[in-house]
Amino acid sequence: MVSARVIRNLKKEFRNSALAKIGLVLVISIILIATFAPFVATHDPTAQQLDQSQLPPIGFSETAERTSSQMVDGEIQTVTETVEITPDPDHVFGTDSLGRDMFSRIVYGARTSLAVGVLGTLLAAAVGVPVGLLAGYHRGTVDDALMRVADVSLAFPSLVLAVALIGLWGRAAMDVPDPFVVAGLAPEMPESFVLPITVVIVVGLVNWVWFARVARGEALSLRGQEYVKASRALGASDNTIILRHVLPNAITPIIVLGTVQVAAIILLESSLSFLGFSGTTLSWGFDIAQGRDYVSSGQWWISSIPGFAIMLSVIGINLLGDWLRDALDPGIEGEGGAA
Amino acid sequence: MSFGRFVLKRSLQGLGVVWGVVTVVFALRFVTPGSPINAVAPLDATPETRQAIAAELGLDQPLYIQYGQYLFNLLQGDMGFSYIRGQEVVGLVFGRLPATVELALAASIVAIALSIPLGVLSATRRNEPIDYGATLLSLGGISTPNFWLGIMLILVFAVEFNVFNTSGRGVDVGDVALSLVGSEPFIGTLLAWLAYITLPAIALGTYFMALITRLTRSGMLDELSKGYVQAARAKGLPQTLIRYKHALRNTLIPVITVLGLQLGTLIGGAVITEAVFSWPGLGTLVIESINRRDWPVLQGSLIVIGTSFVLVNVLVDTVYAYLDPQVVND
Repeated sequence: MVSARVIRNLKKEFRNSALAKIGLVLVISIILIATFAPFVATHDPTAQQLDQSQLPPIGFSETAERTSSQMVDGEIQTVTETVEITPDPDHVFGTDSLGRDMFSRIVYGARTSLAVGVLGTLLAAAVGVPVGLLAGYHRGTVDDALMRVADVSLAFPSLVLAVALIGLWGRAAMDVPDPFVVAGLAPEMPESFVLPITVVIVVGLVNWVWFARVARGEALSLRGQEYVKASRALGASDNTIILRHVLPNAITPIIVLGTVQVAAIILLESSLSFLGFSGTTLSWGFDIAQGRDYVSSGQWWISSIPGFAIMLSVIGINLLGDWLRDALDPGIEGEGGAA
Repeated sequence: MSFGRFVLKRSLQGLGVVWGVVTVVFALRFVTPGSPINAVAPLDATPETRQAIAAELGLDQPLYIQYGQYLFNLLQGDMGFSYIRGQEVVGLVFGRLPATVELALAASIVAIALSIPLGVLSATRRNEPIDYGATLLSLGGISTPNFWLGIMLILVFAVEFNVFNTSGRGVDVGDVALSLVGSEPFIGTLLAWLAYITLPAIALGTYFMALITRLTRSGMLDELSKGYVQAARAKGLPQTLIRYKHALRNTLIPVITVLGLQLGTLIGGAVITEAVFSWPGLGTLVIESINRRDWPVLQGSLIVIGTSFVLVNVLVDTVYAYLDPQVVND
């Protein structure tokens, strides 16, 4: 469990590692941005202003060709003219093709990524850890069956399985009321947070097997320990032993895996929204997809900026994972990616 | 256990997993809302028509008969018929498979060629600029969504500099090989092939490049601190020999296993990379068949993807057992 030694190791590793500090700063910033989105965002992320569409981010002027119909010598003609589009200081990251503020979309997109990443990981752990612990502790038929299920499960790539399951089950999403709006602290916004339920369930179901594998491995090595044998001799039931002795000692690698999984699931979520298999439009992957059609016509920022947001979040979480792994258990190999 | 018995046991296990894959794929159809008849029948079909279709597709039979029939057909190489495309599934899936294999291999080559030297350099010059550079590069690589990287590559190399094609496959690698003996100019064909495959291969390969760099670096650091390396140094063996013959060889064994397990990620990545570059492979087929609710094609593609994964992992374990005979006795 979290002992004084663990905390000492964490602190020591943190002091020595610049990367760990960067990781922590990134992760805390993203959590704060996602939580306080209504106060960070400058606009309603879904409000369309067609007269302000495709504005470049601050610091970049773009030339674009605009066609319009004009009366020339009494006839209507289509005129193509090259116009210079200058950024509007009101839209720091510019606007998308429908004139929605990119900065506010990025801020609200953090909620989707983080919520799916964390909830998906918790679901995967809630399924995988008990199954893995029981299988590793009892061995025998349960264990054999689990390992075969894990083998079959691993044979399907996460993304392919997720796409197939969402294709089958539909794209259910749930409106989650913003606590600040409910408390009357922030103005009402339509669709301020839509949780793609199917995506959470599917990424959880697709990734549980990594947790089961790690938990099983730990239980296998812990079941032979003296203190486990001692409590069995004292008459403790198997479930008590698993809960009181095996789980606390297996928790470190599970936490490290959990961190890696949050990053992997954020990447998976962005892939799913990119392919149109999410239930929400406030997602970084969705914005990359909608910006893709404008890449060849010069509006590079609609696709680029959300990608940097994903990259920074995932880098932050991976750095945090590296720090935890180095501090908690130098012996754990990095395993369990899924993108 | 002998090596032969190990390979046999592992192959039988693999066969069991393939059977599991097929069963899961068969079951998918029954957890789907809506009957498979809907995919075939016209919207205004009478109940009689629907019944006739059900009988035609064998859907009026008990489940275990349907399952048996499905397995029996698969063993004969029959994956069903796509009514939506009006084509046999087998021809469709295996027609698309080579493009995906080509892309995955090209990405692996990009990844392995860059990552192993980078990982070794990073470990042998620890805390020097090249180590920091490699660490940052690999951190960025495992954290970048490959579809976004693909779009950024298109933005820079295709839109700004106009040097690569961004969509489709052009010539396949077979054409390049044929041009060596045939009448087509070799260099021209090779360039035409590279124009299409370079960007998707980089987009797909970057994650693996980063992952293998990280694994190689930490593995090398681990090996170089071991007793046998110090003994070899004390004996006066040249550094290059110690690094590449001894340490790297021991590092690569676990790297190969992780790569086998990550093959799923490679195929999953190929699906989305294909979507970005309109690469006509299995990935685009999977997405198309989901969007058109073309279940036989989806099922066929999933079976081929799952089976390839199992096949490669059995091969990896065999290579592993060959390189490290201790595995056989575990």
